[in-house]
Amino acid sequence: MPAVEVSRLLKGAPPVGKRQTLDEYRAAGGYEALRKGLGMTPEQITQAVIDSGVRGRGGAGFPAGRKWTFVPKNTGKPVYLAVNGDESEPGCFKDRQIMERVPHLLIEGAILACRAIGAQTAYIYVRGEYPSCIGNLEAAVEEARAAGILGSDVLGSGWRCDVWVHSGAGAYICGEETGMLSSIEGGRGYPRIKPPFPAVEGLWRSPTIINNVETIANVTLIVRDGADAWKSAGDADTPGTRLVGISGHVVRPCHVEIDPAKTTLRELIYDHAGGIWKGRKLKAVIPGGSSVPVLPATQIDVPFTYGAVKAAGSLAGAAGVIVMDDTTCMVDALLNLMEFYHHESCGQCTPCREGTGWLEKLVRRIWSGGGKPEDIALLDRVADTVGGAGAGKTICFLADSAVMPTKSFLKHFRADFERAVAEGGSPVWKARASRRKPAAHAGAR
Amino acid sequence: MPKLTIDGKTMEVPKGATVIQAARAAGIEIPHYCWHPGLSVAGNCRICLVEVEGMPTLQIACNLLCADNMVVRTQSEKAKGGRADVMELLLINHPLDCPICDQAGECKLQEYSFRIGKDRSSFDFPKVHKPKHVRFSDKVMFDAERCILCTRCVRFCAEVAKRDELDIVNRGDRNEIAVKRGGELENDYQMNVIDVCPVGALTSMDFRFKSRVWFLENAKSVCSGCSRGCNVTVGSRWNRVLRVIPRENPHVNQWWMCDAGRFTYKGNDADTRLGAPMIRKNGALAECSWDEALDAAAKGLRDAGADLLALVSGRLTNEEMWLAKDVLAHLGTPHRDVKPRAFAKDDFLRTGDGNPNSRGAALLGIAPGTGGSGLTSLGSRAFRGAALFGEDLDDRPEALEALSKCGFVLVVGSHETETSRRAAHVVLPGVTPFEKDGTYVNVSGRVQRLARSVIAPGEAWPDWKILGALRARLTGAPAPRTPADAFAEMCAASPAFSGLPWNGLGEHGADARTPEPAGAAR
Ligand SMILES: Cc1cc2nc3c(=O)[nH]c(=O)nc-3n(C[C@H](O)[C@H](O)[C@H](O)COP(=O)(O)O)c2cc1C
Ligand code: SF4
Ligand code: SF4
Ligand code: SF4
Ligand code: FES
Repeated sequence: MPAVEVSRLLKGAPPVGKRQTLDEYRAAGGYEALRKGLGMTPEQITQAVIDSGVRGRGGAGFPAGRKWTFVPKNTGKPVYLAVNGDESEPGCFKDRQIMERVPHLLIEGAILACRAIGAQTAYIYVRGEYPSCIGNLEAAVEEARAAGILGSDVLGSGWRCDVWVHSGAGAYICGEETGMLSSIEGGRGYPRIKPPFPAVEGLWRSPTIINNVETIANVTLIVRDGADAWKSAGDADTPGTRLVGISGHVVRPCHVEIDPAKTTLRELIYDHAGGIWKGRKLKAVIPGGSSVPVLPATQIDVPFTYGAVKAAGSLAGAAGVIVMDDTTCMVDALLNLMEFYHHESCGQCTPCREGTGWLEKLVRRIWSGGGKPEDIALLDRVADTVGGAGAGKTICFLADSAVMPTKSFLKHFRADFERAVAEGGSPVWKARASRRKPAAHAGAR
Repeated sequence: MPKLTIDGKTMEVPKGATVIQAARAAGIEIPHYCWHPGLSVAGNCRICLVEVEGMPTLQIACNLLCADNMVVRTQSEKAKGGRADVMELLLINHPLDCPICDQAGECKLQEYSFRIGKDRSSFDFPKVHKPKHVRFSDKVMFDAERCILCTRCVRFCAEVAKRDELDIVNRGDRNEIAVKRGGELENDYQMNVIDVCPVGALTSMDFRFKSRVWFLENAKSVCSGCSRGCNVTVGSRWNRVLRVIPRENPHVNQWWMCDAGRFTYKGNDADTRLGAPMIRKNGALAECSWDEALDAAAKGLRDAGADLLALVSGRLTNEEMWLAKDVLAHLGTPHRDVKPRAFAKDDFLRTGDGNPNSRGAALLGIAPGTGGSGLTSLGSRAFRGAALFGEDLDDRPEALEALSKCGFVLVVGSHETETSRRAAHVVLPGVTPFEKDGTYVNVSGRVQRLARSVIAPGEAWPDWKILGALRARLTGAPAPRTPADAFAEMCAASPAFSGLPWNGLGEHGADARTPEPAGAAR
């Protein structure tokens, strides 16, 4: 079956690296959704988003419209919108396409969302390592301001709304929604305990709605086309299109916009990304970004909807499909992930601060030939002490995000770990060690 | 008023109360590190995990609001297992240097390891190493390896001292507490971070390595640094005070005290301490017996009679002021006064009044009586005699000059001063606030107990005993045998204190009966 791409969010988008200007965007009907939205009441916009059923594209898949209704009324405090463009999860690079190439689509969605939730200020928090996104978004904001789309009189409506682009500073944890709020406020990127929930007490202790870049970009389309038309893609579980990034051992790493109900994980890998590179076979795939459970090659004949991927044993998450070929040592792959989570733990919570380091040490020991047979069971147990899906042991989900891969790697690829213990380490390590003189020790990377 | 059940106990709690608070009020202690009743909730240590019926995941009790019909289990297998896991993780990189740690014996890591931890660790890697001697100031030392990153110290500085001086640097298990911008702790309450630190990460430069805490004798007392009267625990050993730490009193100082208050004990060991009574003979002070000195003092006072000027220190206890006042009444002199004593003032605890018992003096009427003169008249008016009870004039050279011209000067005090050297005819060695029992009335009218921690050097007597002996010599009234006797006598005669129980004041004190000094002036 040929790869079916759909084109909604990225319709008319210039090639990678280029930005759609305000004139180009307007020529294609841009900011007409905003004009329409200004004629609607905030409740009508919210209702349209509820009717669309759009689920958060940042990973958790929470219905966006429902979230918006959590903003308390008449608190006397300002309301804020914070758009999450931190996109720091290994394997994810979809939001980049929107921020870099069609920034006005996002800005329009942000203004509409502000209108709906009663905010007049939106922050777009952009991953610090995305200078082109930051630059292009800033340029677009300038254009919108100059054109009277942002500012004290949005399209002559008398209503004020402004959007600020905020650069991240290189921490994965600043993508966690409350970590992002701390960072926007100028503090350390520390996630916050809940309650209070950000919709009640977020930025500067005022009600704040946090949504992913793709979620907000979709708001433009929902208002423009109406909820029903928007829902024509996807299914009841996952309405709308999804932007997916595919990377790893594929012929053609890429991003695509798909109809999630009509596209399987297999199609993403074999059709869109051209299949496994070097004529090899598929061994494993992480479908939703590094934080979700890994799937073995046998589990990929599922549509890329939240529900279907979950039923297969993983999560569609933030749609970062990471593909591993049959030469991959899963101990090596897990070590890479554990280095990441250990490095990125903000360190507030005891289980995450101490546990991510322990997990990395254990995996590294197995990887580098020092593993004892009981280390595999210990790895499994330590993972349980740190967290797990819905464990609630920590302030945010980063700890659980380290545990989910660990548990699933052990579940599906235990043999790789047993082999590394029995045969003096991961093949990757052994190959590196043999190239090195004298023999490397367990601490070496 | 939500009604909930914790470990089978049903209770009704105020709206907004958290489970940890409700449990505490019901006598159930849920382990906690980062939570402190006087600080905001951080929820980071995760040791307070409990199970709640109907909730799929364990919850942290410190940030869980009580709700109607909530059923909480602190002792279920799941809750206990969750906490034991956290305990294990807390210790994997901890240096476990308890044998040389000042916190040992009062450390929450030790406490909870012992109570809820596992008996061995599965962690067999080299630990993460961090700096062990980081000077935060000349009062506070930091050991990053012992720190469990609970942020109590950070929150104390920001929220209570209102000086946001500490923060965390780095990430994950490389996290460390640091003074912002590489500076030093500067706030006047910084030593409270040592007390709030649940582990041995923050230690007192003053107390470090002086004694294992379990060898300290602890006395519940109050600070004499200013009129706030912060409640303290005085730790002593070998008859020496080694540290003063705050003691919780919701009416006075909550959990805190200022740094200056912690160092008030330093005077105890000064080499100017007076150890024996003295009488001036041939121009020089010479040691003598208590009998000889008391006789001479009584004679001098009697001779001065109604023309005696008495300075009664605002640092004396109520009982001592009471006895002094009785003596002065017998002599018939209206000339009595309290020397003001300045002390730093801020908008938190420090009142600006360095006399811990100004309020007691006011309630007891220690102020010039009808037709009487006070301190300021020294120099403009000649007195036949003067008595300084616990006071000196070292900071007022002109008054001291005038004092030295009086025919008779009695000085009762714990330290040798310029005043005693130059002006005294009789010197009676008294004691410091750490060496006697008694009561003070703080700035808001709270009557609080001062408790003796150590015994004064040499032949010094507590001031209440000196005043009792003087009164006996002058009036024949029996000398109180204990400060409690003096207190009872005072309470019987003075409406401000009527009916207050000596023994009932030990923990948190009690309000004086009359807020204003009415009826006390005699
Ligand atoms: C460690 C961590 C990192 C995250 N990083 C991102 C991110 O980069 N971008 C994002 O949109 N959401 C991220 N999330 C999810 C956000 O917390 C949040 O759920 C999301 O932004 C909400 O928007 P949505 O409802 O539109 O998906 C992260 C979550 C965690 C726990
Ligand atoms: S789970 Fe980890 S990353 Fe999240 S707040 Fe706790 S320590 Fe920080
Ligand atoms: S120094 Fe003490 S109070 Fe401060 S964070 Fe560390 S353990 Fe907590
Ligand atoms: S505020 Fe006053 S009473 Fe309290 S500790 Fe400081 S000096 Fe002592
Ligand atoms: S006491 Fe509750 S998380 Fe620390």
